[in-house]
Parts: sequence; C-alpha cells; structure tokens
Amino acid sequence: MTLAAIGVTKTFGGLTALSKVSLELQPGEVHGLIGPNGSGKTTLLNLLSGYYKADRGAISLDGADISATTVQQRANIGVARTFQKPRLLPTLSVLDNAMLGGWRDARAGFLASAFSLPSAREDETVLRRRAEELLHGVGLSRVVGRRANLLEHAEQRFLEIARGLAQRPRFILLDEPAGGLTPAEIEHLGAIIRVMRDGGIGVLLVEHHTDFVFRVSDRVTTLDVGSVIKRGTPDEVRNDPEVIRIYLGA
Amino acid sequence: MERDDRKKIALAVMVLGLVALPWWSGDLYKLHLAALIGAYWVLIGGLNLVVGYSGQLSIGHVGLLAIGAYCFAILAGTHGVHPALAIAAAGGLCGLCGLVLGLPSLRLPGFYFAMATLAFALIVTEITLAQGELTGGGIGLSVPGLPAPFDTPQGSYWLILAIAGLVTWLSWNVARFTWGRGLVAIRDSVITAQAVGVPVFRAKLTVFVASGVTAGISGALFAVLQSYITPDTFIFELGLFFFVCIIIGGRGHILGPLLGTVVLTALPELVSPLAKLGTFFYGLLLLVVVLLVPEGIGRVFEVVVEFFRPRKPESHVVSPDLQRLAKAIQDASR
Amino acid sequence: MLIALITGLATGALYASAALVYNVMFSTSKVLSVTTGHISMLGGVFGAWFMSTLGWPAPIALLGSIAVGAVFGLLTDFIAIRRVLARSDEHLWLLSTLALATMVQQGAGLWWGTEPKPFPRLIPQDFTAGLGDQKYWLPIVVAILLAVALELFYRRTLYGKLFVAMSEDAFAARARGIPTDRIRAMSYVIAGAMGGLAGFAAGQLTFAYFALGLTLTLNGFIALAVGGLGSNVGALVGGAALGILSSVATYYVGGEYHQTISVGLLMLVLLLKPAGLFGSQTVRPV
Repeated sequence: MTLAAIGVTKTFGGLTALSKVSLELQPGEVHGLIGPNGSGKTTLLNLLSGYYKADRGAISLDGADISATTVQQRANIGVARTFQKPRLLPTLSVLDNAMLGGWRDARAGFLASAFSLPSAREDETVLRRRAEELLHGVGLSRVVGRRANLLEHAEQRFLEIARGLAQRPRFILLDEPAGGLTPAEIEHLGAIIRVMRDGGIGVLLVEHHTDFVFRVSDRVTTLDVGSVIKRGTPDEVRNDPEVIRIYLGA
Repeated sequence: MERDDRKKIALAVMVLGLVALPWWSGDLYKLHLAALIGAYWVLIGGLNLVVGYSGQLSIGHVGLLAIGAYCFAILAGTHGVHPALAIAAAGGLCGLCGLVLGLPSLRLPGFYFAMATLAFALIVTEITLAQGELTGGGIGLSVPGLPAPFDTPQGSYWLILAIAGLVTWLSWNVARFTWGRGLVAIRDSVITAQAVGVPVFRAKLTVFVASGVTAGISGALFAVLQSYITPDTFIFELGLFFFVCIIIGGRGHILGPLLGTVVLTALPELVSPLAKLGTFFYGLLLLVVVLLVPEGIGRVFEVVVEFFRPRKPESHVVSPDLQRLAKAIQDASR
Repeated sequence: MLIALITGLATGALYASAALVYNVMFSTSKVLSVTTGHISMLGGVFGAWFMSTLGWPAPIALLGSIAVGAVFGLLTDFIAIRRVLARSDEHLWLLSTLALATMVQQGAGLWWGTEPKPFPRLIPQDFTAGLGDQKYWLPIVVAILLAVALELFYRRTLYGKLFVAMSEDAFAARARGIPTDRIRAMSYVIAGAMGGLAGFAAGQLTFAYFALGLTLTLNGFIALAVGGLGSNVGALVGGAALGILSSVATYYVGGEYHQTISVGLLMLVLLLKPAGLFGSQTVRPV
C-alpha cells in the first residue's frame, strides 16, 4: 500500500535533476521532502504525479509499476496534487473549482449529461455535497459562491487542497503549500495536513519552510543536487551534520 | 418571490413570445430573419461548447455547415429521401466529418488546430466545386422544401425554433454538469484538467463531434431557408461570423453567444451601412472585444451588476473546521 | 511539365517567404500571426496601386511596398500583440491577429475591389520569355535572398543575436536588460518589410488580389510546419516542396484539389515527423 519512486533518474538536456532517487509514501503518513532550490524536489513530485517520465527507474503503486501511466490515469487511481502556483479556473466559482476534483466519480457520459438524465443529476448532487463539506472543512465556507479569480492567495491554496481532496485521493502531493501564507495560515495548513493523515491519506509535503516540515512530518527526506542526503524522523534529519551544512552553508 | 421562480417566469414569457412570433412580427421577412437566426444558432450553440467552453478555436465550421446543406439537398432533392431522414443524415455525416477532422488536429497546439479548420473549410469549397455531378459545381443546387406542416414560413420557423431550443437545452446541460467544468478546465488550464483526471483529448473530440452533428442539422435547415445553394453561399467569412458571435458574446456562457448571434445577424439587415462593411465590421468588433473585454460583452453586464450590488465588508480569514473536514474525508473515502 | 515545375517553384518561393516572415515574428514573440499572409497581400496591392494608379517607377514602388509592409508589421505588434501578450490567456493573440487580418483583408477588398487586378511588369521583358519569365524567378530570387540575409543578420549583427537570445529565453533576456518590447517591435517591422517585398516580387504571379492574404497565411504556415518551426532552411525546403507538389499534382489531376493536396502533405509530415523536417524542438503548445 505505497506510492514509491524506485531509483529514478531524470535529466533535462545535459543537466541531471535527479539521480537514482528512491522514496516511499505510506498511507496515513506525512512525508516531508526538503532541499535547497534546484535540488530536484518538484521534479520528483512531477515524476510521481506523471507530468514527467523518468529516464531510469520506476514509479510504483502497491507494487505495480505505473511508470507508463498518464497524469489522468494516476488521478484516477488516487494520486492527487497541488501546484506551487495555484492553478484554479479563474472564471468558475469556488464551489465549481472544488467540484472539478470529483471528475473521476462522475459516472454520466457526455450524452447522459446533455439530456440531463438522472445519472447526471445524481452525480451533481453527490459531488456538490462532497465539495461543500470539504470547502467548509478547509475554511472556505464564506466564499463558496465567489469567482476563483477574486480569492486571496491563502484562499487559493486551500481551495487547491479542497479540490485535491474532492478527488478522494489515497495520496496527495503538496507542492510548497505554505508558500506566501501568514504564520496563522500555516498553522491552519498544518492542522489540515494532520487531519488528512489521520484520515488515512499519504501526504507528500514538498516545502522550503523547513521548520514547518519538521513540525508536521512523520518522516523527512532531504535532497541535494538530485540525490538523497538524509532520510529519517524529523529529529534525525534536523540534527544531521550534512543537512545542517547544506542549509547553513559551509 | 424566489429568484429561481422569477427566472422561470422570464423564460416562459420569452418562449411564448418566440412561439407567437409569426403573429406579432408583422411581415414575412422578419420571420425569415428569425428563422435564419435560429438555424445559425443550431450551429453556434454546438460550436459554443468547442470554442466557448473547451477553448478550441475552430474558425472553419462553415465547412461542416456546407456539408450538411449539400447532404440535405442531395438526399432530399436528387434522391427523394424523406426530409426528416435527410436532416438526420446531414447531422450524422457531419458528426463523422467532425471525427475525421478532429482526430488528427485536436492533438495539435491551438494555432495548428485553427489552421486545420480553416484548411478544412477551403477544402470543402474546393470539393463542392470539383464534384459538379453531385453538387452542381459553381451553378449550385436547388433545395426542396419541408413537408407539411412545415412547408409554410410559419411552419419551418416553428420547426427551427424547436430544434434551436433543444440545442440550447442540451448545451446548457453539458455546461452546467461535470462535463462543463472539465471543458472549462481544458480551456483555462490543461495542466489542472489532467491533474483531476479529465481525458483532455477525448473530451475535446467528443464535443467537437457533437458540434459537427449540430452543424450538419443547421446546414440542412439553412439550406431549406436559402432554397438554393452554391459554393458561394458558404464563404469562409460565414465561418468567421459564427466564431465572432461566440467570442463577442463571451466564452463560457450560453446566453451571451445567443444574444451575439441575434444581434450580429439582425444588425446588418436592419442597419444598411453595416451590411456594406460586412465582415470588416465583425473584424473590428472582434478586435475591440479582445483588447478591451476578452471575456465578452456579457462580462460587462456582470461587472456593472456587481458594482451596484451592495457589498458586505469581506473577511478573508481562513478558519478550517477540522472535525467537519475529517468527516468529509471519511465520507468521501467510503 | 516544365512550366508546371517552375510555376510550383515560384509559388513555393512565395510560401517560403511567408514562412520566413512567420519565423521572424515567432522568434521574439512566440506568436504565429494570422496577419502573415496579409502583409504580402498589401505589398502586392499597394505595389500595383503605386505603379498603375500613381504612376511611380518600379524601384520607388518597391520601396513603397516595403514601407507599407513595415508599417503594417509595426501596427500588428502595436495593436494585436503588445497588449495581448501581457495577459495570461494564451489564445488571445490568435483572436487579435485574426481580427486584424480580417479587417485588413476586408478593408483592402472595399478599397481595391474584390477582383484580382494585373500587376505591372517590373523589368522590360517580352511576354514570350516562357520559363525565363520574371514572374517566376523574381519570387524565387527574393525568397533565397531573404533567407540568406536573415541568416547573416542572426549571425553577424548585434540585433540579430538579441533576436536569437530572446527566442531562446525571453525571460532571461529581459533579466539581462534587453529591451524586449523594442526588439519585438523591431522584429515585426523587419518581418513586415520582408513580407511587403515578397508580395511585391510575386505580384505578377498572384495578381494584386485582396483575398491572397488568407490563403498565403495558410500555405505559408503549411510550409513552415512542414519545414519545421523556427528553421529558415526548413522554410525554404517546405515552401518549395509544397509549391512543386501541388503544381505537379495539378498538372496530373487538375487544379480542383490544390488545397486538399497541400493539406494532405502537411498531415503526412506532421504524422511522420511532428517537429517538421528541419525542426529541432518538438511541437510546443504555442
């Protein structure tokens, strides 16, 4: 029951972004992924979510090799993600944006929707209720009907998480979710992440903000120039001389 | 009174007014114009899902209109097939053409796709000219009328009104359910669409084929209204006109493009200097809209309404309700 | 048959010139402008007007056509590109250039008339010259000239190198202090001048015809896509291939399927080699 990268290597042109990196994400754990700029964090996230294909190595889910699957297929087998810069649909309402996450559970096809058959209307009811609950849960109840382009930055971040949760994910990959948030908002984010973990979701937390990562993660992996430097509990990683060297500069 | 109720009453009044049009429009020319708008809308309503919702800029739908028109004229006229069957065949054939055109071109970037549809429109003209035995070449074909009770101007108007209403209802359904959100995602952010699992190519192809079917039916109705068709009836500028109606009306809306169709069809007929400027006027309008209000004229009204609506001071504090979130996650994973 | 070949080559040369114009504009803005063919249409129509109506001598009319093209290039950037590129919506430039192209084509139709009008002889020559007729070799010479000049410009001049820098990474170029807005405007002026020249040179082949723009936009684009977006050699080869193929096909099966054949060529190439014959990069979501 894991989502894993097994010895993946990824190069762009002549540059090696990742070199033989392995990482396992268990359900019900928060796995922090830290490292300086350009260390390959986002590349690894893109490999796990399917936007990139690994040059070598494999991505697996529950032991099955899913390296060749597309982004869409991975969404359909329970891998959700958010983006560094929130990618919302600006002209749609907050509710519609969250409901978009329920795409994989919509059973009505194009014609069934066009003729407003009962299956389409049932889909709508189910997805709407789910999205509303999630939006209330992440704290966006006041803006449910607002156009997404009118949201504040923090609201956009939380809406992306709600959309990801509306996908009923087994694993959710968060790409720098604390970026641009105030300390109070980061606290809320931490609480939301813990709730996701307790709900049995595996959370991959890619973040610059190391203090935050050490606080909410169960395990932490540190990357530097495309390789794993240290992996362990937050305390082990925090006190590792190599990690300290990278972060304090030497 | 609830807002929904008021909307329903407004809709009912509008539908009644349209159904009663033959009695209050006064002359047959205006009725013909209304029928023409309806026939255009059958195409534009379907095209709106392609251009307005999924953001694929097809400028060559006039090619599909032509195929539908010729298909109807040839089947119903030359071969004496029942007109109802011929209309259905026109829709089916154009759906197939949409599939053939969409399969190679919808995978390509936007400009490639737009050029492919332009090329398609030119090719259709070329073929109608070349296949003289079938299409009458440059001389054209006369189109048979519809059987009773649709053989009068009023009758054909009602038929077109019913079909146009049906197309409006269908496209509205597509837009408001999950499919509509998926299509908008393809338009505004393909990456997001992929992330939530929307099969981008298949979805684009599906609506494109659907728009082919409505274009074919529209072509048949259009041919009936024209009663005689030549390749010159289907000039490229007509395809541009369909496209402009949608962009001006606003992408991601249904009412906006509908109004766009009505105004842009009627205006040159009622204001004769505009008729002379013709397509130049559409180009100018398109440029102004793209530069000033890229979301379409409809958005202007929304902004005005938002401006005048009393607004409460907003709080942007995000305060999660963790218990509710935990329950929502649990419910969802069941 | 020889006449068919040389006609094809000449028409292909015009397509190649249009493809070069696409390349120049694309390099600095990543925009494929629908107005590309219309620039050459203006070059031809104005050239004919300068000479037939105003009675200008050919060299002055040539400069006039180039100037018209350059001004229109600048206007394209100013009206249809500058404001739109600042927005995030990637489709807007297609709409704005399409709108401008439509206005120019219809404007030319209203002003010049919708019938093709003859384009005057540029060099005194007998009409019995056959294969050596200037209407064939003028467009060919101009296309080659433009491609060579463009290569020299990119390799030898400072501005040319700025173009290349911008085409590789516009953000980095701006970060290094290159005035990207000015360079882009300049590229549109150059592209416009090139298109005006090409339209003037091909005037006797195409006639001065208001509707030339749209077909040239399409066929120039086909030449570009066949040859490979961004490659000037590809533009020449793509244009020549397209021109010769369609005129030879016309020779054998008749002229009715001209457009169908050229689109067939495009589909074939995109199927076998999506980046085009000489394209280095894969097709990007432009």
